[in-house]
Amino acid sequence: MAEETTPTWEDVARIYGRKIYNFAYRLTGNPDDAADLVQEVLLRVRKGLASYVPGSFDGWLWRITRNAFLDGVRKKNRRPTSPLPDDDRNILGASPSPDEVLASVRLSDDIQAALLKVPLDFRECVVLCDVVGLTYEEISEAIEAPVGTVRSRIHRGRKMLRELLTWPL
Amino acid sequence: MAVVKSSSSCETVELVSAYLDGELQPGELDIVVEHLGECVRCIAEFHQLKEIRAALRTLPYLEIPDRLLPDTHPGEQLSAYLDGQLDTTEHDFVLSHIDFCTDCRLELHELDAARTAIRSLPGLEAPEFLEVHRERVERERWTRRRVAAAGVGIAAAAAIVFAAFGPAAQPVGDLDINPFLDQHQARVSVEPGINFVPALAPAGGAP
Repeated sequence: MAEETTPTWEDVARIYGRKIYNFAYRLTGNPDDAADLVQEVLLRVRKGLASYVPGSFDGWLWRITRNAFLDGVRKKNRRPTSPLPDDDRNILGASPSPDEVLASVRLSDDIQAALLKVPLDFRECVVLCDVVGLTYEEISEAIEAPVGTVRSRIHRGRKMLRELLTWPL
Repeated sequence: MAVVKSSSSCETVELVSAYLDGELQPGELDIVVEHLGECVRCIAEFHQLKEIRAALRTLPYLEIPDRLLPDTHPGEQLSAYLDGQLDTTEHDFVLSHIDFCTDCRLELHELDAARTAIRSLPGLEAPEFLEVHRERVERERWTRRRVAAAGVGIAAAAAIVFAAFGPAAQPVGDLDINPFLDQHQARVSVEPGINFVPALAPAGGAP
């Protein structure tokens, strides 16, 4: 989207709605929560567009999206995500059977389940990078953290996922 | 920013994800490549991260429920899209919408086919009866000029001529059909308005 143009909230809904929904779904693993987040984000966009100064629209939008998600987490007082246990064996369990290894149709479910076990700070960076497709710089704007922090979180988030998933994929 | 103190410390492994994403800072690429050439542990890490990254990027891209969107389908914008008449925002919307909406993708293909068919109509020769009318009109004009020039003395003769040709020719006597014939030429080639009509098969996939 051109930086000089301020879109209407309908434009935002049409162009970004699906991305926001996928971001929300991958973070929450729940279609209802994802839908709630999309509605909340669009509401905030509608209010915020009046005072929006044309610039990095994507950074502005994803910052709103992330803040809406975090507010939703706080409001619902969900069970907080936990850091990975020190002992990976508790997660990995017994060695997978050949059938399990070959059950590639369940891969996306497995990845989704593993994503939800990754601490939020790392999960959001991985999702913004690999699902939404933002650059490190854009993620940096969205989460209001240095690019170096983004880089570290993406790397560590992926490592956590790798350790959580049956290997090889 | 991660700092690589030495290759033996394997701190370079922190850069492997950025390497995969093409997000290394200037000067870091050589360090990573050199280190990957000599560190078995980091090579293994590289392959594992590459695989998990690929798996994440091939997760199904979900469709947003229609109820969350203000106006789900582009409708009339599809024809304007084909003609290259949308502004940037509208164009982006249509492109992103047809990427996942099978119905609109199908409608776009139908509109494109209809548009191409219409624009491929051959130019037509004027029907024979129109040529007859054209000749009669020309003849009538010539006659009127001659009548005016002949003066009152041959008014009776002019009246006979008018009686012979006038009544039948009157309906088209004042009608100049040449502009209509010219405008009847259909456009043969399809003008370049668009450069992308997606395949009908559902797209999906990560952006």
